[in-house]
Parts: sequence; C-alpha cells; structure tokens
Amino acid sequence: MDFEETPSKITTKEFLAVVLAGFGNELAPLTSNNGDEPCPKALLPIVNKPMLDYPLAWLEASGIRDVLLICPAPHRASVLHYINSDSSASSFPSLRIDLQAFDESENLTVGTCQLLRHFAHRIDQDFIIVPCDFIPPPSLPLSRVLNKFRTEATYDGAIATTLFFEQPKPDKTSTPEEWRSGPASTSVVWDEKSGTLLHVDTPDEIDDDPEEMALNMSLLRRYPRSKLSANLQDAHVYVCRRTVLDVLKEKPRFDSIREEFIPWLCTPQYNSRKRSKYGHILNPLHNLPSQRLALEHCTLHTGLPSAYEPQSALSSPMDEVAPTETSSLRVGVVVHRASAGYTARANTLQTYLELNRHFLSQTTYALPIDSESRSLIDPKAQITSDSMVGHTTKVGERTNIKKSVIGKHCVIGKYVRIVGCVILDHCVISDGAKLDGCILGTNTTVGVKSELSKCITQAGYEVGDGGMHCCFPYSKYLTVKH
Amino acid sequence: MPPKSSSSKEKDLTDEDEVLQAVILADSFNKRFKPLTSGKPRCLLPVCNATLLDWTFESLALAGVQEIFVVCRSYPELVKAAIRDSKWSKPSLGLKIVSIITSKETFTPGDAMRDIYTRGIITSDFVLVMGDLVSNIRIDEVVRVHKERRRTNKDAIMTMVVKPSGVVHRTRSKGESAIFVLDAETSECLHYEHVTGYPPKKHAKIPREILAEHPEIEIRNDLIDCGIDVCSVEVPSLFQDNFDYGDIRRDFVHGVLTSDLLMKSIHCYVAREGYAARVADTRSYDSVSKDILARWTFPLVPDDNHPGGHSYEHIRGNKYLAKGNSVVLSRTCKVGSNCLIGAGTHIADNANIQASVIGQRCTIEANVTLRNVYVFDDAHIGAGSVIEYSIVGSNVKVGEGSTVARGCLIGDDVILGKNAKLGEFERVSRRRDEGEADESDKEDEDEQSEDSELEEAEARQDSESITAIIGEGSNAIVWPKGPRADEEDLDEVERYNNQRLMRIGDPASDLPLEYEGTESDSDASERESDESDLEMHALSRISSATSTSAISTSTPGLNIHTLHDAAAYSEFQAEVTQSLDRAFAEGHSVDNAAVELKTLRMASNVPLRKVREAVVASIVERIEVVEGDAAAQRREISKMVGRWGPLIDKIGGVDPVETIEVLQYHCAKSARLPLFGQILAALYQDDIVEEDDIRAWHARPEAKGEGLKDTSFAENVKRCWLVGTKMIEQFNEQESSEEESGEEDSDEEEQPSKKPAAATAQAAVGKKEESSEEESSSGDDESGEDDSQDSEDDAPATKAATAAPSQPSKPASTPASTKESEEEESEGSEEEESEDDALAPSQPAASKPSASSTTPAVSAAPSAPPPVPAAHAPALVSSTAAPAQPSTQDEESSEEESESEASDKEPAQTAQSQAPPAVASSKQPVTAPSKAESEESEGSEDSEEEEESEDDAASRATEPVPQAQVSTPKASTETARPPATITTQTESVATIPAAVPRPRPGPDVVGGQPLRPQQAAWRRHSIHFGDKVLKSGTTTGEKARRVVTTAGRQMKKGILTILRRNEREKQSTR
Repeated sequence: MDFEETPSKITTKEFLAVVLAGFGNELAPLTSNNGDEPCPKALLPIVNKPMLDYPLAWLEASGIRDVLLICPAPHRASVLHYINSDSSASSFPSLRIDLQAFDESENLTVGTCQLLRHFAHRIDQDFIIVPCDFIPPPSLPLSRVLNKFRTEATYDGAIATTLFFEQPKPDKTSTPEEWRSGPASTSVVWDEKSGTLLHVDTPDEIDDDPEEMALNMSLLRRYPRSKLSANLQDAHVYVCRRTVLDVLKEKPRFDSIREEFIPWLCTPQYNSRKRSKYGHILNPLHNLPSQRLALEHCTLHTGLPSAYEPQSALSSPMDEVAPTETSSLRVGVVVHRASAGYTARANTLQTYLELNRHFLSQTTYALPIDSESRSLIDPKAQITSDSMVGHTTKVGERTNIKKSVIGKHCVIGKYVRIVGCVILDHCVISDGAKLDGCILGTNTTVGVKSELSKCITQAGYEVGDGGMHCCFPYSKYLTVKH
Repeated sequence: MPPKSSSSKEKDLTDEDEVLQAVILADSFNKRFKPLTSGKPRCLLPVCNATLLDWTFESLALAGVQEIFVVCRSYPELVKAAIRDSKWSKPSLGLKIVSIITSKETFTPGDAMRDIYTRGIITSDFVLVMGDLVSNIRIDEVVRVHKERRRTNKDAIMTMVVKPSGVVHRTRSKGESAIFVLDAETSECLHYEHVTGYPPKKHAKIPREILAEHPEIEIRNDLIDCGIDVCSVEVPSLFQDNFDYGDIRRDFVHGVLTSDLLMKSIHCYVAREGYAARVADTRSYDSVSKDILARWTFPLVPDDNHPGGHSYEHIRGNKYLAKGNSVVLSRTCKVGSNCLIGAGTHIADNANIQASVIGQRCTIEANVTLRNVYVFDDAHIGAGSVIEYSIVGSNVKVGEGSTVARGCLIGDDVILGKNAKLGEFERVSRRRDEGEADESDKEDEDEQSEDSELEEAEARQDSESITAIIGEGSNAIVWPKGPRADEEDLDEVERYNNQRLMRIGDPASDLPLEYEGTESDSDASERESDESDLEMHALSRISSATSTSAISTSTPGLNIHTLHDAAAYSEFQAEVTQSLDRAFAEGHSVDNAAVELKTLRMASNVPLRKVREAVVASIVERIEVVEGDAAAQRREISKMVGRWGPLIDKIGGVDPVETIEVLQYHCAKSARLPLFGQILAALYQDDIVEEDDIRAWHARPEAKGEGLKDTSFAENVKRCWLVGTKMIEQFNEQESSEEESGEEDSDEEEQPSKKPAAATAQAAVGKKEESSEEESSSGDDESGEDDSQDSEDDAPATKAATAAPSQPSKPASTPASTKESEEEESEGSEEEESEDDALAPSQPAASKPSASSTTPAVSAAPSAPPPVPAAHAPALVSSTAAPAQPSTQDEESSEEESESEASDKEPAQTAQSQAPPAVASSKQPVTAPSKAESEESEGSEDSEEEEESEDDAASRATEPVPQAQVSTPKASTETARPPATITTQTESVATIPAAVPRPRPGPDVVGGQPLRPQQAAWRRHSIHFGDKVLKSGTTTGEKARRVVTTAGRQMKKGILTILRRNEREKQSTR
C-alpha cells in the first residue's frame, strides 16, 4: 500500500481553485503595455516576487492541488512562461495549474460572472475563487476559510463562505492622495456569532437610494443581532459549492461576482421565496441531523446560527416551534481584523505601494551572498536594511537607497538617491538621479541627475537627463507617448 | 432608600443632585384594555393582585428614586386616592410622591412632557417611566452611567433601557417593537426604527450617513424596550420646542436622531441583568403576570416584596396562596402550577385552576375550569363554567355553565347569565343606567369617543343573538368586534389587525407577519428580472426603485398630515366663503377683501393654492346662470369677474397659470362647467390671465387631466381643456391675422375648411347661441367676411388641425380619418394632374383630419360671429402648393408645415397631406395666391423670399431650397404607395393628440425669447431640419425626407420627454 498517495488524492478531489487574473486597469500605468509587450498584473512584483506567487503559495499551503488560472488572452504567453519557469515550478511543486485564457480587451473587460459561467464545465467540484492580487497575511491560512466551509456545508447546508478583511486606516502621509483611488469599502451586514454574511451593500443599491440602506425585515428577524460594518473589504475569496454555478447560470444578468452575485447569494438564506425557488438548485447536503447532533456537542464548534437565539435569562420563551429547516443556505463569512495582520488586495496603486512597504518593514536586507550579485554592488553604496535589491542589480558608488525595493537586473548609477520607491526589473537609473516615493515600471530609464518625486512610470518610459518631475499633485503618471 | 455611595470621585455629582427624581406617565394614551379600563385608569389594574402603579413604584423604589411625579389624566381622583392609600405615601419610606393632574387635552406622552416642562418641576436628570412598568433593573446603575457620560458629553441627553431577549419573546410585543441601531462600543443609539407588526414592515432603512462616523454598528432586532428612560433636564424643553413630538420613541427619539440641528445624542443601556417590561396591552399583561409568577422578577415576587402589601405563601410549582388561612380550597379542587390565589377566595369542589391569577374574595364554584385566566377581586364564577385566556374584571358574576372562550375581556361589575357563551375575543361591559351615563359624561368629557362606541354597542344589544351570548338576566353589553369604523383615523399601531397581535390569547396565526411569502417589492422586481433577459435589467431596477418610493409615501405620519390638512382646508374654505359673502354683500373693496383673506390664510396655515381655489370657487359660484341668453350670461360673467377678478391676484401671489388650472378644476366639479370658456375669456379680457398663461396652462399635463381617474370629473377637466385648445387656436389665428391683415380674399374653396375652425373658435368662447352649422355653411360669404381679417394663417390652421383631433377622444378622430379616406378617393378621381393624383392618397391624413375632427365640435358649439374671427384651413395651406409645380411646392410647404405642426410626429405625412388641397386649389385657381401668402406668414417670420414666390409659382419652384429639390422625387414615388400608407397615416394622426400641446412651453424654456412659443418652436425645428438636410445633401428623394422626418421626430420625442419629465418634477415638488 502506498500511504503517501492516498491522502493527497482525497484532497485534490475536494476543491478546485479558480484564480482570476485580470488586466489590472486600476494599476495603470504599471500594467500598460510596454510597446507591444503586455505587463500582466498577475506578474507585477511585490518585493520582487510576482504577486501571483502569494495566492498560489496560500493555496498550496492549504493543501489544494488543482488550480484553474484564468487570464486574458494577451497575457497568456507571459503567464504561461511564468508558470513553467523554474521559480514557480520549483516553489509550487504540488500545484497542477491549468491555464486558461479568455478573450477580452483592456477596455471591454468581461465580468467575473461571465468568466465563471464560461469555464463552468471545467469545474466539477466545490471550488474556491481567488483573485491574483490578494496578499494574505501569515496569520490567515486559507484552511481557516475552508474549514469553516467544510463544517457549515456539512452541518447546516451552507452554500458558500466568503472572506472579508478589515481595511487598515490608510496612512495619510505615505501616499499621495491622488493614488488613493481604491474602491471604498463596502457596507456589510453580517452575523458575528455564527459568521454569516447577510447583506452586502451594492453600488446599485446605493444608486437606488443614496440616503438609506434597506434591510429586509426577515433578515433581521432571523438574525436579530447583526453587525453592520463599513470598513470591511471583500477579499474576493469565495469558497462555493458546485451547485452555486448552476444558480449562476440561471442568472444571466449578473456581471460581477463581488458586486452582484455574492450579494444576491445572501438573499435566499432569509427570503423564503427565493429559498423555495433556488433551494433545490443549490441543493445543499442533506445528511444533516446526525452531523448536527455531533457538532452541537462539539466544544470547539462555536454557536449554531439558530433563528431563535437563546432567550434572555429572565423569562421563558414563547412556546413557539423553531422552524425545522434542513438547510440554511447560509453564506458564511470569515472576517480578518486588521489587528491580526496586514492584508490587502494589490488592486490599486495605493495598496500596491503599501504592500511593498509592508513587506519591506518585515524583512531585513542583507547583501547578497552569491559573489556574482555581490560584486555588482559597490561597497561604497549605502543600502539601509529596510530596503531590498534584486538579483544581478548593479548599484553604483555612493548611491543611497532607503526604504525601497529595487528589482532584478537594474542598473543604478553613482550618487543616486532612492527613497521610498518601488523600482521594477530592468530599470536603468543614471548617475546623480534622485527618486522619492516613485514607482518605476519595468525598463524605465532615468536620465542623469533627474529628479522624480511621487511619479509612476509606464514600462519602458524614459526620463531625460536632468528632468524634473514632480507628479504630485498635478498628474498621476508618466506614460509613454505613442 | 440608601443614598448613593459618594466616593470622592463622584462627590460633585452627588452634590449637584441629591434627589433622584422620577416621572411616571400614569396614562396609557390608548384603549387597549377597554372595557376593563372604563371606570378606572389602566395603572390601577391589578397584576398579580397589586396595581400596576404599585409595581411601578416598587420598581422605582428599588432604584433609589426619592421623588416621584405621577402625571395622571383620566380618573385623576382615583389615582390620587390610590396613592394616598398605598404604602408608598407612608412617611417612613422617605418617598415623596406628587401627583400632577394634567388636562384632558393631553393626548400623547409628548403633551404630558410639555406639561411637565411648564410646571418646571424637574431640576436634574430624572427617570421617566410609564405607569405600567414591572422592573427589577437597577435603574440607579443606569442613572450612574448616564451621568458619567454626561460629564464628558453634554449632548447625551437620554439613556433608554433595553433588554436583549431575542426576536420572539413573550414579553416582546409583536405588534409594536423597534430596531435599534447601536454603536457597537458606546451603545449610542444611531438610528431608531419603529416596527409595527401589521401590516408587516418590509424593510428597515438605515441611513448611510451614520456609517461615516461609526464604521462598526449593531443592528438589533432582539431588544425589549423597557420603557425606562433616564433623561436630562433639557428633555422636557425639547418637547416644548417641538410641539409635534407626541410619542416618546417614534417622535422624540426619532426626531432627535434625525435632526441635523439638535446635535444631541441618545444612548441605550443594554441591561444584561434584571427584568423590565411594560404591561402595554393584554398580551403583555398575560406574559408579565406569568413572569412574575415564574419569579423572573425576583426580588419582586408575590411572596416577598409584594407591591400591594399582601403576603403569599410560595408552594412548589410556583403556586401562591394568600397567607392567613383565608383561602378556602375544596379537598377535590385542583390548583395547577403558576397560580396565585388571593385572600378570602373560596374554591369549590372539582374546580380546576391552571396558570391563573385569582383576586381576593372571589368565589369559584364547583366544576369550574380556569386556564390562563386573570380574575380580579370579588368575582364569582358560577358552577361548571369554563374560562380560558381571559381577563375577568372585579365584581363580575359569571352564571352557571358559562363558557368564556379565549381572549375575552369582561369589564367590572358585569353579570353574565346562566349558560352564557362568550365567543373568542368578546368584550363585555356593564350596561349603564341613564343617570350613570350622564354622570360619567360629566366627569369625563374626554371619553366621548368611547361613549359613542358604547352607545353603538348599546344600540344593538336587544337582538336575541346577544342574549344567547351573555345569557338570561345579564346586565352586560357586548362590544363590537372587528375594526372600528373610524379605523383609518387611528394611529397605525392602534389599528385592529395590529392590536390583534397585542391581545391576550390571540395567536394571530392568520395574519401574515412575514411579508416574504407575499409580494414584497424586491421579490417582485427579482421575479421580473429573473424571467426577463438582460435588457430588462435596467427596467427592473427602475421598478424596484419606484416601488420602494411608493412604500415610503405610505408612512403613518403622512396620513395624519393629510388628514389634518384636509380638515384645516375645509374649515378654511368655509371661512373664505363666509368672508367673501360678506364682502360681496356689503360691497367691500377688493383690497379689503384681500387683506381679510390673507389674515385667514395665515391663521389656517394653508398653501396659497388653496386660497386661490377658494377665491376662484367663490367667484365662480357667485356668477348667476342665465339660461338661454348668451349675451346676458356674458354680461353676468364679465360683471362678476370685473368686480372681483382682481382679488385673485391680490391674495399674496400672482400665478395666472395656476389660476386657470384652479378654475378648470373647479368648473369640472361645478354645475357651471359650461361657463368655463366664458369665464376664462372674461379673465383674459380683464388681463388677469394673459395669452401666454393660457398657453402655459394648456400645455400642462394637469390641464389635460392626466393622472386623473377616468371619471366624469376627468372628463369635465378634459372638456375644459378642449375649450382652452380652441381659445389658443383663436389666439393663433388672431396673431397671424395681425401680421397679415391685408388679406381679405377668401373664397368658397376655403370656406368649408374655415367654417369648422370658426366654429371651434366660437365654441372656445363658449357661445351658447343656437347658431347653426347650416348658417355658417350656407352663408359662405358671410363667414368669409367674418374671417376675412383673420387671414388664412396656415400655421394656426394646421395647429388647429393637429390640436383638434387631440381633443375628442379617439372615436372622434377615427371617423375623421375614415372620412378623409373617402374624400381622398373622390378627390383623387377629380384630379387632373397625375402628380397630384399620386399625392392624393396620402393627403387626407393631415389636412382633412382637422376638418373632419372639428366638425363634431361645430355641432356641439353652434357658431355665431366669434369675437376673434377664426381663420382656418389646412386645406388652404396645401393649396399654396397647387399651382403649376405642385410637387416642388409641396416640398416647400411640407417643410414649413412640418415645422408649423410643431407637435406633429410625422412631418413627412403633413407634406403629403398638402397635396390634395393643392388639387382642390388647382380646380379653383383663385384661391391659390392667398394661400400662398398665408403659408409664408405662418411658416416663419422670414418669409420674404416666399412672398416673392407666391405671386409666381414658377419662381417659387426655382427657389434654391435644397430640401425641396431633394424631396421632389419622393412625391412621385409616393404614388406607388399602396393604400396601406393611408392607414398608417391615420394612425399617426390619432397618436398626435397626446403629443400636441407639449412642445409649446419648450421655446420659453429654451429660447427665453418673447417669441410666440409656437413660433420659436418652428424656428428651432426649421433650423434643425435645414441642417439635417444639408448634411445629407447627397441623399435624394425619399431618403432625404426620411432623414428629415426621423430626425424631427426624434428631436421632438426628445423634447417631449424632457418637457414631460420637467413637468412631472414640477408637479411632484409642488
């Protein structure tokens, strides 16, 4: 008998991870094409690791094997290259990545729901949707979400589990205001005790009634003590039962998973009409009673989401019979608090920069060990420990690097001063340049004695000699003129 | 009571406030306990054999309150006496109880608070409770928290005590609960949403703005509102400032939380320990009693701290028997658990008592079964009776073998005969003697409404069915069941179906309390969108939006306001009528009358429009109707309007458009409907309304009676509107005539078409004279003379044409179209020129309809020489086109026509329509020139070129109007068109009416020029068309024309929708 094989087989059957990689329009100009060559968002590095690495590592750590990676067709080549390259193949040995591309252009993006519908035939088990830009903290293993889903799907017929994280208060000083274009966090109603997502305030609803948020009374009746949080952000991580896809097919008008489908998916749990309409499609597990009994006596298990909460100690409850619903059709929610570790989605320039800074503050830089890389760094260069310099990057004499990430294969001249920057691979920074709080796309060239402050450059951009650019607050980006 | 521990830290607090004050609102302000409360206030009803007031005192005493003000309204003497006799007034207790008797006009807790404010008795933070509280909560702790908070935050004016319980709880009222939105950390109440049980609430609406400052909030639907508030001193003054605050929760709390100005905050104290509940209705009476018996209120339990001072023995199974061996229990009787039996009560053999409370000195005969029954003192239950889930008043005698089903309330002193059978939820009270009734009236005027209800009940007492219910020899009357007649006037909470949720023993399982099973709006939209495809998405959103708005309008507050307004208005109207009567009779000057009206308006606080309505109404109703003599009638009207008309503009605002509308609506309701046109004309003569006003009014959707239900009223409104239509036609004609005064030659050819127009004009002025169609038709020359001045202005003519079909409802236009087709045929046969012939089929649509559709009008309103001669003829218009080069001219004229018919949807058709008249004119060439002239005049102001062309048809044709040339081919192609086109045209004609009047206001809005609105509209159109055509210069013939028409149509549609929307908005804002 081969004991090693058996467990892995079981786990592979359980979940399929669907990783969605988009264009990252919010990250323009970093994601704008470099000439004809695309700069896929998924491969933008965060502290010199492609951001896709983070969710993949997260998935792998939870024991998931099958990954369906969906990326735009123009990105396919580079993503494929990344997957097959040494770095990722060696770091995720157990993942089986199925790369699928979809046709869309930068301007006409396909809704996430549509993607899911399109690839539904490739998903035949419960699945988990993960965006390519979610950077989970070590304190939040995916298994926490999966386990919640596993228990709840089994004992009371939950259909999905979502993950929300608390948005840390943005540091006003660190990033210029113009970059703060990130989506305002949504208002979410959830039950804290049972971890149930009840209502997500959608943009549509805000349009309908910008003054007031309407909550269904049956929701409040079922969950009389619910929380409404305005500072939670959707991690876009959804563990769903396979049947959810069937419902998605019934709803051809939904476009965005986050903004439309998930909010809708919350409604059948308290709306009896929808429950009866979609209950059979969602078809939650029905072998409940025994599981439930067992779980009720489990000390580790916290709180059944009973419709009728334990009465106050002061008077006995009415003799009313609690409805015996076999399945709750619940949408679970795991809430990750900011205090438990920094989390963000690198889907805006602001969070991208903040994530880089966050990781810098966590690591200490030491000069590279291998002689080749080391020889490139001039001994007279000053690199503080809260910086990071990539492989085979050349750093010139008396260059000063503070709180910055320097990518791979860069050439940094003499007397350069770099503070609080993120410099992607293959950049060339000439002598005497001064960079402050910039993000330089790949292949950016900075001329001699140029000064850049709070600039973001498109890949391949060339800053002339002695150029002075202070993009803040006048314009956001430096982009290549075609 | 022990003074509070005064640590050094709290010293200043205790210094500033040594006495903790409490206010008890000892009136319920509702009638949920009727008839138990006829004869005594609710706070004196016994709960577990102690009055509610005693329980409330006990609860407050526990909290260390030292000074209590009891605000009583009904039966204040009884309350006073009860306080005087109770143990609480013993000086040894150190409790100072002051009863405040408030006036009978105190209808709400808010009124009581204002009374408290005026008395100035509150000196510091105080506890506010209702007189029906049972609580063991440490209110002093709440007070401490409140004061603590006040030290840092002066704006925290109130702390409400709430108790977590879960959604469904027997002490949580189903009929009246609330959603509290609290800050998760500070328990600040951010939003309060009152929830009525029935009709079920669909959505809780949480204002988004609170999220800005409180990102983490809790929405709690599981709290019992204990009705204990710790208030700061300024709370009564806030009531004083806001005279409309009635209910403490729904008005005061809601008002404070939503106010942008007050900047006050209200907090909740979520009591984790302790018991607190209000006996607000019979259902909670039941549950609170049970809670007391089950010792949830400990230490307030019958065997210890009984507020009534009785002493009971607690036996296993929560049975309580009065101590002192005064209770006589038969050996075979059965007393179940959760029972309380008062002193001096006798229970006979085999009686079975379960979960019931029996008062003192009661007699329960043999074989009686009581389940969940509350029997007050001195009651006598006859042998073999069965009573369930009911409350039996004191001194009641229930005859042998009676059955009292669940939910009955039996008032004090009722005697039920033998074998009485009270059905479920019957309410009975004692029939009053004559003298007694008077007496009670005297002492209690405010029970009027109850009395009326009682009398109504008394009135139907004699039937046998009633006797069957209450048994022989009963002195009872049975109260009516079901919703009251004046249910609508009641507050939503007090309505019958909602009250069902609050009465004892009523499971109300038939009431749908969860709306999700029914048609909730979100569901509706959901379903819609489910079944529809992607395109429907937007629609469903809209529908959901509108349906939510519809819900929001049905708030109770609104109802109350409208009711209130209605009452105020009718009163006001009566006043105005009187005042005007005086003014008319005594011949006041207009100014004096106006002053009087203004004062009245201020006093009644009615909107200006109401004043206008009242004034217009009085003037109209004062006009004497003179039958059969139109001239006399006119004189009558002009006399009245001349004398009093100016008053309309002196009431505080001048809005002639509204005046017309008001007049219209009044006439539509009044017998003076036929006078509308004449009155309007009189107003016009007296410069009270101007032409533009009439046009503006005419264009409004209200004027057309849009949105009115299809009743005779709506019909009348429409009729008035039609009169207006005609008037406007006249104006048009008049104007054109001014422009072209030189034109005199009208001939037979024109006559037929003119006649109707003239007739309509007359109709507009409302001539009642019998003058007949014959007259006008026979006397062609005569009418020609009449009309001579008013030149054949094509524009108005076509206008009229388009307008006319609009007025008569559909039937009118259909005959028109059929007629047309007939005519068209005949004409077609007569046609000499093939081209014309070709055009013929299409013509009738535009030109003829006017003629034919106006005909009915003619017959309706006989013609006499109209004051403003009406010119008229679509036919004329087309005739211009006739000579020599019909096709090109057609084109031109069509251009203008289409413009002139600003409202017409299909310019192309109008173009076609001109052809036939052209034919006609070709037969009678004489007319042609005049028509040509007329065409120019109306078409646009810049008609010089055309003027030249008139004389010479050929020259005209050469004119380099590109459109004309382009479109020429079309005309010929038209020939080939099958009859089908005709039908489409007629259809289009039929559809016109709706669109016609609207564009008119457009020019005003857009151009802002003193142009005649219509002209402005034409101008814009023409420019537009010109552009279009020029651009599409390469295209020829039909194509080009189509471009023109579609462009025009679209533009018009666009304008129409914009205008419509504007109007709607205006309406709604108004």
